[in-house]
Amino acid sequence: MLELKNVTHIYGNGTKALDDVTLSIPKGMFGLLGPNGAGKSTLMRTVATLQTPTQGSIQFGDIDILQDPESLRERLGYLPQDFGVYPRVSAYDMLDHMAVLKGIASKADRKATVETLLNQTNLWDVRKKAIAGFSGGMRQRFGIAQALIGNPELIIVDEPTAGLDPEERNRFLNLLAEIGENVVVILSTHIVEDVADLCPKMAVIAEGRIELEGAPLDLISRTKGSIWSKTIDRHELDSYSAKYEVISTRLFAGSTIIHILSADDPKDGFDAVDGGLEDVYFSTLAATRRNTAEAA
Amino acid sequence: MFGKITAFELRYQFKNPVFWVVAVLFFLLTFGAMTVDGITIGGGGNVNANSPTAIIQIHSILTLFFMFVTTAFVANVIVRDDESGFGPMVRSTRVTKYDYLLGRFTGAFLAAAIAFLAVPFAIWLGSLMPWLDQETLGPNRLSYYAFAYFVVALPGIFLTSCIFFVVATMTRSMMYSYLGVVVFLVLYIILIATAASKPEFRELAGYLEPFGRGAIINDTRYWTATDSNTLLPPFSGMLIINRMIWFCVSLVALVLAYKRFSFSDRGISARQARKQAKKAEKLAAVAPVTAKSLPSANIGKAAWSQLVSRTSFEIAQVFKSPAFIVLMLIGLFNATGGLLFANELYGTPARPLTFALLTTLMGTFGIIPVIISIYYAGELVWRDRDRKMHEIIDSTPLPNWAYMVPKTIAVACVLFATFFVSVVAAILIQLSRGFTDIAFDQYLAWYLLPLSVDMATLAVLAVFVQALSPNKYVGWGIMVLYLVATLTLVNIGFEHPLYQYGQTPNPLFSDLNGNAVNGAYGWWMRLYWGGIAVILAVFAHFLWRRGTETSLLPRIKQLPRRMISSAGAVMAVAALVAIGTGSFIFYNTNILNEYSTQDDVEELLADLEKKYLKYETVKQPSVTDIKLAVNIYPDELKMDASGSVELINDTGAPVEQFHIRIGDPLLNVEELNISAAKMELNDEDLGYRIYQLDQAMQPGETRTISFKTSRERKGFRATGNDTRLVENGTFLNNLEFMPTLGMSRNGLLNDRQTRRDHGLPAELRPAKLEDESARERNYGGNVDWVTTDITVTTAKGQTPIAPGKRVSDEVRGERRIARFVSEQPILGFLSIQSADYAVEERNANGVKMSVFYHPSHDFNVETMLDATEKSLAYYQKNFGPYQFDYARIIEFPGYARFAQAYAGTIPYSETIGFIADNSDPNEIDYVTYVTAHEFAHQYWAHQLISSDQQGGTMLVETMAQYSALMVMKQIYGEDKIRRFLKYELDRYLAARGSEAIEELPLNRVENQGYIHYRKGSLAMYLLHDRLGEDRVNAMLAALLEKYKFKSQPYANAVDLVDGFKSLARNAGEQQLVEDLLEKITIYDLKAEDAVVKKLADGRFETTLRMQSSKYYADGKGKETEASLKDRIEIGLFTARPGIGAFGKDHVISMERKPVRSGEQVIKIISLKRPDYVGIDPYNKYIDRNSDDNVVEVSEI
Repeated sequence: MLELKNVTHIYGNGTKALDDVTLSIPKGMFGLLGPNGAGKSTLMRTVATLQTPTQGSIQFGDIDILQDPESLRERLGYLPQDFGVYPRVSAYDMLDHMAVLKGIASKADRKATVETLLNQTNLWDVRKKAIAGFSGGMRQRFGIAQALIGNPELIIVDEPTAGLDPEERNRFLNLLAEIGENVVVILSTHIVEDVADLCPKMAVIAEGRIELEGAPLDLISRTKGSIWSKTIDRHELDSYSAKYEVISTRLFAGSTIIHILSADDPKDGFDAVDGGLEDVYFSTLAATRRNTAEAA
Repeated sequence: MFGKITAFELRYQFKNPVFWVVAVLFFLLTFGAMTVDGITIGGGGNVNANSPTAIIQIHSILTLFFMFVTTAFVANVIVRDDESGFGPMVRSTRVTKYDYLLGRFTGAFLAAAIAFLAVPFAIWLGSLMPWLDQETLGPNRLSYYAFAYFVVALPGIFLTSCIFFVVATMTRSMMYSYLGVVVFLVLYIILIATAASKPEFRELAGYLEPFGRGAIINDTRYWTATDSNTLLPPFSGMLIINRMIWFCVSLVALVLAYKRFSFSDRGISARQARKQAKKAEKLAAVAPVTAKSLPSANIGKAAWSQLVSRTSFEIAQVFKSPAFIVLMLIGLFNATGGLLFANELYGTPARPLTFALLTTLMGTFGIIPVIISIYYAGELVWRDRDRKMHEIIDSTPLPNWAYMVPKTIAVACVLFATFFVSVVAAILIQLSRGFTDIAFDQYLAWYLLPLSVDMATLAVLAVFVQALSPNKYVGWGIMVLYLVATLTLVNIGFEHPLYQYGQTPNPLFSDLNGNAVNGAYGWWMRLYWGGIAVILAVFAHFLWRRGTETSLLPRIKQLPRRMISSAGAVMAVAALVAIGTGSFIFYNTNILNEYSTQDDVEELLADLEKKYLKYETVKQPSVTDIKLAVNIYPDELKMDASGSVELINDTGAPVEQFHIRIGDPLLNVEELNISAAKMELNDEDLGYRIYQLDQAMQPGETRTISFKTSRERKGFRATGNDTRLVENGTFLNNLEFMPTLGMSRNGLLNDRQTRRDHGLPAELRPAKLEDESARERNYGGNVDWVTTDITVTTAKGQTPIAPGKRVSDEVRGERRIARFVSEQPILGFLSIQSADYAVEERNANGVKMSVFYHPSHDFNVETMLDATEKSLAYYQKNFGPYQFDYARIIEFPGYARFAQAYAGTIPYSETIGFIADNSDPNEIDYVTYVTAHEFAHQYWAHQLISSDQQGGTMLVETMAQYSALMVMKQIYGEDKIRRFLKYELDRYLAARGSEAIEELPLNRVENQGYIHYRKGSLAMYLLHDRLGEDRVNAMLAALLEKYKFKSQPYANAVDLVDGFKSLARNAGEQQLVEDLLEKITIYDLKAEDAVVKKLADGRFETTLRMQSSKYYADGKGKETEASLKDRIEIGLFTARPGIGAFGKDHVISMERKPVRSGEQVIKIISLKRPDYVGIDPYNKYIDRNSDDNVVEVSEI
């Protein structure tokens, strides 16, 4: 549905934020996983027509986004990573205003849109309150409400769960899951669980490049037999890092559990573990870092 | 902790737009006042613009205005946390109340104090501007600024900070805080008004006036220009105590705020709780209307609702912003003050006619919309980005036009609303003064619409600049530069309206002539700038940032591609409009008319003076008869005149050359026939010709000159469109429609700075009093005594008027034709008027009196007729026969504010007597005063004309003032005359401090208004009082008889002074005449205290202790004490003279007693018990402090 071909973006200061990105994104939830600064937001903004890439082409269905951004915008719902609100404006009024901007011309349609979405996002009771006074979760729900106006065919949500408490996060992800069936939803995040819980397809981006692409289950199965785990004392971490390719560390009950990447059994007290998506992600990042280090 | 909180608060306030907006506003206000003519706050004359007095005055006035700003800062401290919801969070931390509250207060107060630094900075910067008259500037001394800032401004800012901090703490509401400011201002104004009307409260007011202004005024009341320029006010007891008192009040307020402030929420009242619960219930009761599937968008159909929604959204954002409210309040406060006193004269208010208020409204409110358009253009353009909403908005299918267009419309609507609010304020003021004839059409067509368009044009420029700027601060900076540049460019000669972005001509309003002078021109200019604004707007649209890319270059690269669009077509149409109207304007300003800059005009006048003033004393024959036919075509703005002038050589010597001056560049001389003469010089540019006579004109010989002239207003000029020949209300004098014989000083440059700039001496002074040769010329531009025969024709609907007896008046076809003949010689100073008039007539003493007035200006017509009747009666009885059988007053448009006496004919401006509000009997009835003055000129000027030398105006203006005062005395009685004298005295004392050259005694006055009008009235009144009205009048009548209708030698001041001296019966009177007429004498008469005691016989003995002195001053105001020995009136009263209904009934006794320098005690016995006693209680003497002459009597 959404086809990116050789998209490269270089900022004015020389930063190469996107490096020859080629991606094919079908209908349904698509997770874009990457650490901070990997180029996720640049990619999201580029698809959202907010900036033009230095090179490459982006196609959504029949629409060439770069030539005809107007047509894409008519089909787009976008929740940016960071957005503010106007002071002294209530949720209801703001959503109504957004509905106008998105082209819901008739008053009745707007009323239906606004009230349905407020209800759906559980904001109906606070509709007359200024958004400026909303909590982070409420604000994100408002964000998704506005992104849903006018039945978009492409929904882009950039880091929506950052800073939400678990309950709010759950509520938000449920909301996304509901809508992600018939349209393209790109969920960009650095939180592995978001993708693991929701997305049938995903990609990992790091340093502007797509490092990995596929269905989470496939990717997990690919790591089978290469992830090993050991519980160590936290003072030993440095020596293990030197010896093995440590992809993640986690504290548990005062000790440190490390996961390493190894094609063979490293012995040394390591146990084989069934890798999770997290291991896939971290091993990909580790590989990227290695490559970069070698290139340098 | 305290320091950190203060610093945080300060940083917060620096980021607050209110801080920057007000800093820029106060900078511009002050800078404008310093550098633009017409905007003044204090200063003037010999008082330097950057003198300590002026600096202090600006600081104290602006401190008062700054109240709205300090309130915004300090109330924000209290209100902010509740509004943002941060309150509970902050207050539950470990921060103490002391640190939290006072730390923040200190930060906010410091922010206000720092913002106010814009004022001294602007004064300093303004004083460096190269185009200022260097003579009006003194050295910039740090001590002046420091005194003004630290003694005057800072305590005032601290005081208002504290007071409104309490109000905010108690009310926790921005709105109530501002309400508090309004209440404070009302109380303040009442205090000022009370102190002004009750001099005995001045001392008390000095202590109690919160800003220290009262104390400073008391300490510097009678300072001369030199004092004002070089001295700081003494840090006197009164000022120190005043500052202490208000510092204590500030601290008390602060403590009170501290006590009242509580961290815990006070909790809402039961009523509010019920209200909230009800609201919540109501909200909960409504179920959402949900749809199974969401409606789809249809972007194509949403254009209109997008426009409306975007626009109203932006408008609402502006209206809700605090800076907008602060700006509006400051603007309205200033405008209200201006409107209440608009067109006041002699302290008497004018009726608040709409046309007359509009100019004031523009002047006092005008800067606010400028700030709003520039400030909010920046806010609107950057709002989405500042609020981080741009990613959401920019990714919606909102069409590109829906950015620039609604934002621009929103600014325009805000501006319209802003102007609309000022109109409402003005209308409320009209209604509050009982004036109900409100001209809504004038408000709309002359003010609301044009100014909104002008400001919208400015806003578009600001939007354009913002669209290109990397951030809004750069955009604002560029716009401020633009404002300063527009001021500067005009000053350095780049003044053509076609390249002064957004410039439209200054409108001139009149009820007679509407907005005809610059009205249409203004709309052409608006169309032109509107076209250019649309082009800029389309560029702004093309270059708008959409998305996250901010650099300009990629957008510029896309420009050519985007131009091919419907917006590009709009731009093309706008360009056509701009080119079309621009060409039309250029055709008008540069082809139909000659375009000349201010500097060009001045250069011509300077050249005229340099080349031809030397001919001033070349003797020319006198004019004896003038025959004129003048045709006025008001609809075509055209007139022509043809006529002939009879001359006689009365110089006593042969005349070889005729010097002809064409005094008005708008005048075309089509023919000028002088038989048997050769034109030797024809300077077309300067309007000067010299004819060499084939044969010299012998003494006693007569000759004739005939001429044909025309004058026409073609289209419009860039500046200086004719206000004399107009659609309705034409008023031309002979210099404006016919050539004159001989060179005179009429119309030469007189601004000292301008004269120096053009290489002329700073001033042209008249001949000395001792120069007998000056008596060959008269002070009226050396016009002669002539008989006249003038036929004036005009359009059928208008009335033509000229001096002379009207011998015929008829309508023939479309023309009205009237002939005016003067068989007796009159001064050859002629006026032609034509307008659609109503006429009120009255016959008395064989004189037909008429007032020609605009039909809706009938308010004071009866008063004028009464005044004319009473004046002529008094003058005929005392000075001799009135030479005409007619007396006319003719209204002319208020483009100028004066009344002027021609032979029996007095053009009178619509903005003085005709709209005066005489309803308060306690105010000066200046309609009668001015009318009496102008009719007095029928004697003093039109019978006796003085010589062209020092003292010349004393015989004309001073005598007219004296005559008018006598009429006022007749009408109002001797005991009410104090208010006139007091007015004249105060004006005289105030003006002499601003003298630019030197103050002269009355007999040597050099056309200095404050001397010949103001001081003249006082001197004449005292002399008539001492020497006897009848004796003085007899002497004057004899003087008139001697010089009546006589040519050279003309009367001079010596004749008059000698006349007064001849009336002196003793040395005291002799001394008084000398002191008043030949010297600059200042008295200081003071009643210290008085006690009364009841005598055994039932009478009362009043003991008055008083202090007297007399000083002689030189031309620069330096005084030396002289011995006073005079007989001065001591009066006993039952009410305070000059105030309220004081009149004859309140006078117990009034008697002259010997008074000498120093302290003196006088006992007076009276039948009635006096309440007040005073020395010179009616202020007949030129007393440096006229408010301490009367004291209340106390019981022993």
